[in-house]
Amino acid sequence: MTITLYDYTLSGSCYKVRLLLRFLGLAYERQQIDFFPGRQHKSLEFLEINPLGQLPALRDGTLMLRDAQAILCHLANTYDTSGQWLPRDERFGEVMMWVMFAGGELMNSSAARLHDALGYKLDIEAARANAHAALRVLEDHMTGREIAGRKWIVGGAPTIADIACFPYIALSGDGGIGHEDYPALRNWMRDFRRLDGFHAMPGVAEFV
Amino acid sequence: MGIEHNQWRGIGLDRQVQPASSNPVIVNGEMLAMWRGENGPVRVWEDRCPHRGMRLSFGFVRGDSLRCIYHGWAYRTDGQCVEIPAHPDLTPPKTICAASYPAETRYGIVWTNLERAAPSPLPDLGPEDGWEPVRSLYVNGSAAQVEAAIEAFDFGAPSMVRLKHANAIALGIGVELELLIALQPVADNRIGLHVVARGASTPETRASLARRLQRLRTEIEMAQEKK
Repeated sequence: MTITLYDYTLSGSCYKVRLLLRFLGLAYERQQIDFFPGRQHKSLEFLEINPLGQLPALRDGTLMLRDAQAILCHLANTYDTSGQWLPRDERFGEVMMWVMFAGGELMNSSAARLHDALGYKLDIEAARANAHAALRVLEDHMTGREIAGRKWIVGGAPTIADIACFPYIALSGDGGIGHEDYPALRNWMRDFRRLDGFHAMPGVAEFV
Repeated sequence: MGIEHNQWRGIGLDRQVQPASSNPVIVNGEMLAMWRGENGPVRVWEDRCPHRGMRLSFGFVRGDSLRCIYHGWAYRTDGQCVEIPAHPDLTPPKTICAASYPAETRYGIVWTNLERAAPSPLPDLGPEDGWEPVRSLYVNGSAAQVEAAIEAFDFGAPSMVRLKHANAIALGIGVELELLIALQPVADNRIGLHVVARGASTPETRASLARRLQRLRTEIEMAQEKK
């Protein structure tokens, strides 16, 4: 089966999917969509792929999926025989909770970045305040994890919760949201960047 | 506002500064890089590469050198630039030197002083042994509000202020627990708290204290919103 990712290099949401594809060692084709300035994700052709007009989208054989979080779940569910990335035991609910957080509250960081980098019209102060509130929630969680001697958001190994949360925390500076107040998140991001198979994107440093 | 220049301020927990890491810190509006080599103590520098002004907190560590993310210039622990990758045969001149601030680690807390030339001695806040890191957290509020809230806060057992310093408060909580809280002025209305405990020997006790401090933060910020 051929996997095709409808992709935009500068998108943190597309980056989530690229990260998991690489961690799983899956070959895939990239269909580059001109998100900016072309707005190709709102074109008639792309709306047939994803009627919501959002990136990423993923075609896996005959299956067409949208939403980075749903795509992470699909890829882990289908191709991760180890079960590490989406555990099916007592960790499942907590992993999904943080995956939803990444697609929900944390997207305020993405909104701030779209405002600052691409000139989107939105309430930037509200976006930054809400992004800081989201980062604080994960900072509190990761502080507890550090005290318990743990590195990852759930359990003893990285999961799709870590992948889903990483991009818009790492890229938050692009939206004027610094990492000064988040020592536990800084440590977690550094550990994430040291994972085998990790690769960077523009705005995320390759060197650790 | 009214913040003394020559004062030692806690800016982080020693255990939370990973080996081979560089971290952004703001003290009274000054941007600092708090970094550690693969070994050795934490250093505090101006968050600015002498070459092109890039933040050194974005940098990366190799051995005992901090390298700027922009062009890879490498700085030794004393600040001296020791390598310029684009000019491998050049010995960097002595004038290329990162600006460093005094840095000390005591009670498990990393302290710095914005006075570089003649810093006052690090204040003595009692015996150094037995302190365990609890957490750092940042609060929207003035130093006066944060201090008052700490003194009035219900830590779960009767608490008593044992020592008050310009930028630190020591509390006794119940009969067994002692807290030391270092205060970092980030801006007029933003304060970092770096908290260590004595008598909190298990991770469970420290985790419980860390959660209690979230509640303190919420109390301070809720009182702010009411105003």
